[in-house]
Amino acid sequence: MTKQLGFLHNSEKCVGCQGCEMACKNEYQTDAAPRWRQVFQLREEDYSLPTRMFFSMACNHCANPECLRVCPVKAYTKREDGIVVHDHDRCIGCRLCLMACPYDRPQFNPAQKKVEKCNLCYQRIDKGEKPACVAACIPEALQLVEINEALDQRMGVLKTLPGLPSPDITQPAIRFIGPKQGKQIRRD
Amino acid sequence: MKLSRRQFIGGTAAAAAGAALFNFNLLTKSVTAADDSLEEMKTFRNVCPRNCYDTCGQISYVQNGILKKVEGDPKHGYTNGKLCLKGYTYTRRVYSPDRVKYPMKQTPRGSGNWTRISWDEAMDTIAKKILELKSRYGSTLPICFNKYSGNFGIVHYGAEGTMSSIGYTTRALGTPCWPAGIDAQTYDFGTLYSNDPEDMVNAKYLILWGQNAAWTAIHTLPFINKARERGAKLVVIDPVLTSTASKADLYIQINSSTDGALALGMARYILDNNWVDWDYARNNSVGFDEWVDYLKTNITLDWASEKTGVPQDIIREIAREYATTKPASMWVGYGMQRHINGGQNVRIIDALGVMTGNVGKSGGGVNYGHLETWGFSYNAMVNPAPKGSKGFIGPDGKEGDRNINMNNFAHDVMAQNDPPVKMLWLACRNPGSQDPDTNAIEKMFAAMEFVVTVDSFFNKTVQMSDIVLPATTHFEDWDVMASYWHYWIGINQRAIDPLYESKSDVEIAMLLSEKMNALEPGSCTFPTSGTPEEWAAKEFNPGIHSLLGISDYRELIEGPRKAKMTPASWADGKFRTPSKKIEIHSDLAEKNGLPALPVWVEDMKAPEKYPIRLFTPHPQHGLHSQFQNLDWMMTANPEPKVEIHPVLAAKYGISEGDKVKIYNDLGSIIVKAHLTRTTSPEVIVSYEAWYKDSNFNVNYTLKATPSDMGKQATGNNGVAFHDNFVTIEKA
Ligand code: SF4
Ligand code: SF4
Ligand code: SF4
Repeated sequence: MTKQLGFLHNSEKCVGCQGCEMACKNEYQTDAAPRWRQVFQLREEDYSLPTRMFFSMACNHCANPECLRVCPVKAYTKREDGIVVHDHDRCIGCRLCLMACPYDRPQFNPAQKKVEKCNLCYQRIDKGEKPACVAACIPEALQLVEINEALDQRMGVLKTLPGLPSPDITQPAIRFIGPKQGKQIRRD
Repeated sequence: MKLSRRQFIGGTAAAAAGAALFNFNLLTKSVTAADDSLEEMKTFRNVCPRNCYDTCGQISYVQNGILKKVEGDPKHGYTNGKLCLKGYTYTRRVYSPDRVKYPMKQTPRGSGNWTRISWDEAMDTIAKKILELKSRYGSTLPICFNKYSGNFGIVHYGAEGTMSSIGYTTRALGTPCWPAGIDAQTYDFGTLYSNDPEDMVNAKYLILWGQNAAWTAIHTLPFINKARERGAKLVVIDPVLTSTASKADLYIQINSSTDGALALGMARYILDNNWVDWDYARNNSVGFDEWVDYLKTNITLDWASEKTGVPQDIIREIAREYATTKPASMWVGYGMQRHINGGQNVRIIDALGVMTGNVGKSGGGVNYGHLETWGFSYNAMVNPAPKGSKGFIGPDGKEGDRNINMNNFAHDVMAQNDPPVKMLWLACRNPGSQDPDTNAIEKMFAAMEFVVTVDSFFNKTVQMSDIVLPATTHFEDWDVMASYWHYWIGINQRAIDPLYESKSDVEIAMLLSEKMNALEPGSCTFPTSGTPEEWAAKEFNPGIHSLLGISDYRELIEGPRKAKMTPASWADGKFRTPSKKIEIHSDLAEKNGLPALPVWVEDMKAPEKYPIRLFTPHPQHGLHSQFQNLDWMMTANPEPKVEIHPVLAAKYGISEGDKVKIYNDLGSIIVKAHLTRTTSPEVIVSYEAWYKDSNFNVNYTLKATPSDMGKQATGNNGVAFHDNFVTIEKA
């Protein structure tokens, strides 16, 4: 594998608007239940001040994808650029990948009785376009990046956030910039 | 067959999957890759017509006549090719199995027993009812019309036109949304007129006063962020620590409804330090020195701090920074004027902007909204009453419509007796879920002889109607839209054919006119011809052409245009007040029974029995009762909650996830608790919305208390939505 594409999410800029989540649904016209991308709120108590803070997560296209390892029909493949692609036609809906993924990112579609997930908009990337979620993010909190040494050495770039599973399990191709909190004049 | 509402929706959803022409299956692409085997994708220009600051430029992608997806229009310089989450759900609105598909009648009203009828039968029933009421009462005044903001497309003013073409009717007048602030700026400047929001990049200091852009005007954020990258500080003042406030350099959790007191404290400190722009204030306003005297004799920092709960050193800090870091921009949200002293608080903030010389400047302004780009022809709206129509004789002796207060709708409808109101016509409006005092609204609807609603979904108002007429979505219509925030105007093309038997308000008016004139020649003046595109074209006039630099509406098909206006409002110093100056002293306000000066007016205090303030602000996942009912939104936000501070929750023995009963003398609601320190211990927050298959409605406890202003410019005062007091218990 020559490179590893992934996401960089900046909680300092993210307002939790869920535009990325809906832009993904709009692009693929998914059914209601599966959430390929999902915006999560960080817990107030994990930070010094109570603030509305968020991060957005889709499949993390892990360097060590557990989903791929456990899938009995080889529905998962990893591309040269690191994208973990799930082949919907091969999927038999056994849901082993759901149990294996530490991030809950393979999404079961109850109507089709199969799994589906973010394929990092590879068909858009192959055309030189940004993923739909990245293109939709108004405060530019979500970026497509190459995961490498240089990125990990950048100031403020984190491998995980409070409450997330250890990145050692699957080596997810996602990096974070943590939230920044301003001064607050509070009534409590 | 008798069906309950739930069965009805379930039944039609199942039928849609098999027999109907359009359903989600047609839409869903293979999930692994885009399907290219179909006809080439066509694109159209649309504009989101919702009651929203952003009024986004949209591109619709259509293949084989089916709307495949919706994206932002990259040629729109304010929304810049991106949509908010709501904008990305539109295919689910257009193809929702829950849509009203055909004209239907409900017998009896409220039973859920709906039957499909033809357009001819619907028009025949409605026209006969109108004519019968007219002959019974000698006028069409027993017919009451209520329309507001469900679709702000200009052609939709054809709904008003429907009414004016049948005679003089009873009209719900006013706006529930923003009238107190409009009047405040009308008294001060002559009208509301905000800077171009794109101009916020030039601000060196920014105060968002009760404004939650992250949820309600997200496309302004990049401009604010640009200003911040250039060094501007962002201050957010709000009783609730919103998503926007969470991003601020300084967040001030102010005591609700005391914004004016904070601004007065700041003004006093600015005066004491002589950071006043005397030249600007004295040359451009009247009554400034009179207000300065008031500040000197009546205002202290002690008092301001006591009132607002904001420490004195913070008042000093923001006063100094706001007055000395120029230009400084203020953005006044609509929530902060929904109080009994809300308009007055806006007047005080206006005065703060004037005293520091921030009005009329790029990067400055006291920004609230504007209507500068709304100079359309309103061709569909204007129709003469039929010959011989009898109207209501107003206080000025003129004959015309009988206007009642939109913001006390239930009460005012019932109060009419000469003649009484017997029939309601609702378009672009859902009072069943959006009006104050839902119980009173339900009673009033029950007292009507006949109710017609034009809508796309079986919402609360439709559930209380006799006939529902299926409305098109904006992808099925031609229209033109302007914004009350940014300066862009866009054309809205018909991207797909109207689904099922849906029609626009204008098409409905044409049908009704045909029917009425067939039954009683001369009884309706609405034209009976015109294509949807022709109706949209007629809204353009030389004024709009020159504002946009076009000579034909079709030029907008190439992309939306921005109005040719200066980035700073009031840059020419030509104010539109009677004195042509900023009126710090407003005789007009005084004449209307209000203080002439921007002085402090007391806020509403919590009654002993109901000590908790209930805020019901705009939601993230919807716009009033739109969007939240769609299946994608129900996934993203499945149920309503009430945000309660842990200290308050503990006092009432409430834990995370508990069901909480919120109540007062008017009514009650039950909703799940979410404990959070983003609100204060005095305020609980539950966002207004209409969830699918749910009776949740925040307005059951809300009294129709008027705000202090609105009458001057909009006909009626607003609603003090945020002066609502309740108590809570574990349900
Ligand atoms: S679109 Fe951007 S700002 Fe909005 S939730 Fe997603 S990452 Fe956050
Ligand atoms: S996030 Fe989960 S689904 Fe995605 S590659 Fe990693 S293990 Fe697989
Ligand atoms: S990369 Fe594409 S498929 Fe993945 S979450 Fe973003 S929009 Fe969805």
